Amino acid sequence: MGASTDGGHGHGGHGDAEPGDAAAGPTVISVSKVSPRVRTIAVVRPTEHDVTYLEATRKGLGVTLRHFMKNFFGRRRPAEALARGEVVTAKSFIPWNEIETIQYPEERTHYPERFRGLHRLMQRDDGTVRCVACMCCPTVCPANCITIIPAEIDEHGVEKAPALFEIDELRCVVCGLCVEACPCDAIRMDSGMHAKPVEERGHAIMTREMLLGVSGEAGKDPKSTATQGGEGPAWRE
Amino acid sequence: MSEASAPPAPVTLDSVTLTIDGAAVTVPKGTNVLEAARKLGVDISAFCYHPGLSIAACCRQCLVSIEKSPKLQPSCQQIAGEGMVVRTTDAQSTLARKQMLEFTLVNHPIDCPICDKAGECTLQKLYVDHDNADSRIDTPKVHKPKVVDLGPHIVLDAERCILCTRCIRVCDEVAGSHQLEMINRGDHEELTTAPGERLDNPYSLNTVDVCPVGALTAKDFRFTMRAWELESTPSICQGCATGCNVEIHHRNERAWRLVPRLNPDVNGHWMCDEGRFTYHDLREGRLAGPVVGGMPASWDRALRAAADQLAAARTAGGGGGGTNGVAVVLSAQASNEENFALSKLAAAWKAQVFWTARPPRPERADDRLRDADVNPNSAGVKAIIGAHHPAATANDAAGFEAALAGGTVKAVVMLGWDLPISDAALRHLRELPLISLSSHERGPVKHAAIALPIAAWAESAGSVTNRAGRLQRTHAAFAPPGQAVAGWEAVARLAQASGATLTWGHGREVWKEMTAAIAPWKDAPWGREVRSLQLRFAGSRG
Repeated sequence: MGASTDGGHGHGGHGDAEPGDAAAGPTVISVSKVSPRVRTIAVVRPTEHDVTYLEATRKGLGVTLRHFMKNFFGRRRPAEALARGEVVTAKSFIPWNEIETIQYPEERTHYPERFRGLHRLMQRDDGTVRCVACMCCPTVCPANCITIIPAEIDEHGVEKAPALFEIDELRCVVCGLCVEACPCDAIRMDSGMHAKPVEERGHAIMTREMLLGVSGEAGKDPKSTATQGGEGPAWRE
Repeated sequence: MSEASAPPAPVTLDSVTLTIDGAAVTVPKGTNVLEAARKLGVDISAFCYHPGLSIAACCRQCLVSIEKSPKLQPSCQQIAGEGMVVRTTDAQSTLARKQMLEFTLVNHPIDCPICDKAGECTLQKLYVDHDNADSRIDTPKVHKPKVVDLGPHIVLDAERCILCTRCIRVCDEVAGSHQLEMINRGDHEELTTAPGERLDNPYSLNTVDVCPVGALTAKDFRFTMRAWELESTPSICQGCATGCNVEIHHRNERAWRLVPRLNPDVNGHWMCDEGRFTYHDLREGRLAGPVVGGMPASWDRALRAAADQLAAARTAGGGGGGTNGVAVVLSAQASNEENFALSKLAAAWKAQVFWTARPPRPERADDRLRDADVNPNSAGVKAIIGAHHPAATANDAAGFEAALAGGTVKAVVMLGWDLPISDAALRHLRELPLISLSSHERGPVKHAAIALPIAAWAESAGSVTNRAGRLQRTHAAFAPPGQAVAGWEAVARLAQASGATLTWGHGREVWKEMTAAIAPWKDAPWGREVRSLQLRFAGSRG
């Protein structure tokens, strides 16, 4: 680059610097005798022209105007395409092309099958909670968001059930480890729902009854078909 | 068999050398092969063997190959012989143990999610170590009684039982009462009590400890905590003068159970049921902040008020021997450090010194672990008083009662809340300014002019002295509630407020001074600071 103190184009100029400049590197003033890789170089400060950022501002305004035109005059993608989960591929400056935003929450993009949504607690055939308070999920939870207090019961030959089962959805990091740890298929995250916005932190804590009710809200089957405790069809059949 | 095949060894030898998996080990004569292997670090799997009990050899889980022996031998029953060559990793014995484990699991319900033993279960551990394969059993499992109420403290799940008979041997050999028995045969064999009998001996909860699976569970601990969530801190049981070594299992700043810790010189592997329940008291009726005249106060205000109350009494005449009107009451319920600190302050004040203890309960004494003296530190408080106040005589609760009646006491500084004196003396005490250093708000503490909160035994590092004069360390498992501080620290604060100088910055410094001052404890080491061990890293228990 030689002594590039001649104004106009400093470092990282506007792309019209000669290709050989970058390879030539900065001006070396001195090289260390101990380690040749340690060098003192001349630093090129931006000139007044650069400091005004006129060029960059002009480019930025152009981008903004382009988006404005596209969003204002463009067509929205049809709902069917959204439901099919088509990804946006058309990239164009032409404003009458399809725009990439959707009208959330009336419209939703495609959610993958394994999307981890709001937790729900599964029920047995008689509507009681499948959870036996084994404490595997609070043990594995990296966010410490699950609180369970176990109690002794006398039903279905199962001796243990959660007297209290709470999940703090604000603390939850949606990792899904609780679902993997559960030996009873009692907790799932397949509701497809997002945690609801709350005005107070305490309202984000979901109780046992709320978690049992998520199935109804999400339109999912609240009863698991998994066998449990040796009851039901054997796994060999 | 082995005696015959082994080369003739001189009878005078009291140790034998054998080879296990190619490594030679020398053990005392009479040691079994399983213990010899453990000495080498070879852990042979076992269910029915327990080092504190007799040998049953009924689980067949510890089979090993022994050279010149035609069949596999249970290593728990096989006494080590001179020159014996044992193999634990050869194909034959490995396969035998794997198949034995599969056989044990045939009728096991595998209800680990609701089983309290999960996380510290020997069966779980051995399954992962030896087998770790899917079940090959197609036949239905044999069903047995569940949730059987065996006694006041214990619930039995007969399906989980693997018939190792350890619990039967605990009742026979530790408690000395044959309350459990096996009935039926084969896969219908199950544990039960005799008709009309209950498992109600004072050592019954040791059966829960030794149970290698979750067949016997303690009602007290059942479904409260999973074993892997707990942390363990070594301590000493405060239930009586025996001073059984225990582990406090705690989490979330509270204790969840006490279990015995092996100490062959004191309690072996065992402890009594009553001692196990002493942890409940750590949460009941605690004094969490200083109280002045029945109202909560700050430490500063409480200490100033105490100094004012004491100033008048310290100028008044006392009970002879150059003492003044302040009476200091030590406690056999408190640790050595607390008693030593307050005793030293009493000497600085020239106060009258007394000590109290809970009255003995002769009906609970036996020749095993339970002692009639229900104070953990009677020997300690006597030693401290003997060292600090050699002239003092008859200064127990009766002496205190006499001093109260005599009118020589103008103010009382009392450690703890146990004060077994007559109602008349208690009424007399109410009229005096009482400064109480107590962990609990009970008895006389409720009416104290000034109550200073101190840590209970599980919350501060200290020591107690058992009936044999053995100095044993306790460790802080969790923090004391509220503004409570360690007993010696409360004494040091009180000393500073009243113009005496006691400067300790750490329990270790109190210990150093105390062991230097009291002859029988000379040069006793403070030892390493103990950190809580998470039980999830402790392997199986039982």
